[in-house]
Amino acid sequence: MSTTLDLHSHSDASEDSRAPVEAYLNWIRLRRSERPLDGIVLTEHRQYNRDADYRALEDKFGVMVLRASEVETNYGHVLVYGVNDDILSRFDFANIRLDAQTLIDEVERMGGVAVPCHPGRPNIGLYEHYAAKPPLENLIAVEVLNGGSRKGEDERSAELVARFGYHAVGGSDSHLVSLIGLCATRFAAEIRSIDDLVRELKTGIYEPVDFRPRRKAVAHAVAEETR
Amino acid sequence: MKRFADINIGDTLGPSEQFVSKDNCRAFARAGGIEAPRFTDDEGARKEGLPGMILPGNMSLGLLSKLVTDWIGAEGGARLIRMSTTYRVPVQPDHKLTLHGFVTHSTPAERTAEIDVWIENEDAERLVTGTATVQFDS
Repeated sequence: MSTTLDLHSHSDASEDSRAPVEAYLNWIRLRRSERPLDGIVLTEHRQYNRDADYRALEDKFGVMVLRASEVETNYGHVLVYGVNDDILSRFDFANIRLDAQTLIDEVERMGGVAVPCHPGRPNIGLYEHYAAKPPLENLIAVEVLNGGSRKGEDERSAELVARFGYHAVGGSDSHLVSLIGLCATRFAAEIRSIDDLVRELKTGIYEPVDFRPRRKAVAHAVAEETR
Repeated sequence: MKRFADINIGDTLGPSEQFVSKDNCRAFARAGGIEAPRFTDDEGARKEGLPGMILPGNMSLGLLSKLVTDWIGAEGGARLIRMSTTYRVPVQPDHKLTLHGFVTHSTPAERTAEIDVWIENEDAERLVTGTATVQFDS
């Protein structure tokens, strides 16, 4: 039984989102034919709420909710799955200058997995950092499909996968309710917990999936200086 | 007249195609007393590291607000009580812009609806995103 998860989303717990978790889950329920998700992973910016309990909402909407975090490093933003007390004791997630290599190695040693997100994005993505610094070691996967990507960003991310042999995941990076699930990851295995997710991310038996609507091309306006 | 009971989660606003010319952009900047070069002059904008003239943030906010107030309609029955926006990418004039909105959730006790809104360019890139709250009289 396969599992499709949006691995990257922000609820109103993140300072730049106004999306309640309940509204996300209701939207997924309403749009299941377009975005067939089994669950979402909340990846709040620079924080991890170990006490959050979404079981009642999971039961109400039939959508799984897992928790992770998006942190900031000297190689750009990184999603951390399998956050536990050891990881929280070792790293201050509010620190925006975490060392990426240390994070990857230590998170792995402590039972989690670190996945750089939107690597093709200027300034906060891995691609630009690789132009000036050595590639990271022990990296398993990167986010190749991001629902907020601009033109060319996902393509640059795919270049990294081709060049370094990383596995590829997808996530919406949604900060708005209606954008949840635009990109996701389909796992071959059944996933029912964050431990399952960490285990499967390490296997590499998954693929990014793109649920973004295919729009007909909009003609570019002809720029005309009228001053 | 818009009534709270008539709205549904998933209702759409727009999409509304807009074309904002450089003259529109300059007129807005002058009217608002914000005649910084980036809003009035391509060359001045490039000197600030921008690709060319850009719309003032308040102009984008105005376009998105109008998307919501047009949806409410002239007959009223509801009002826009809050709007927040995130400016992800500078909005350039002389491009086709498409404005989108979706009703995403509601609060019956307050008779309010929350709406996602955003501005896209021709490449379907979301330049400005936001949320709006509309409150209904009945």
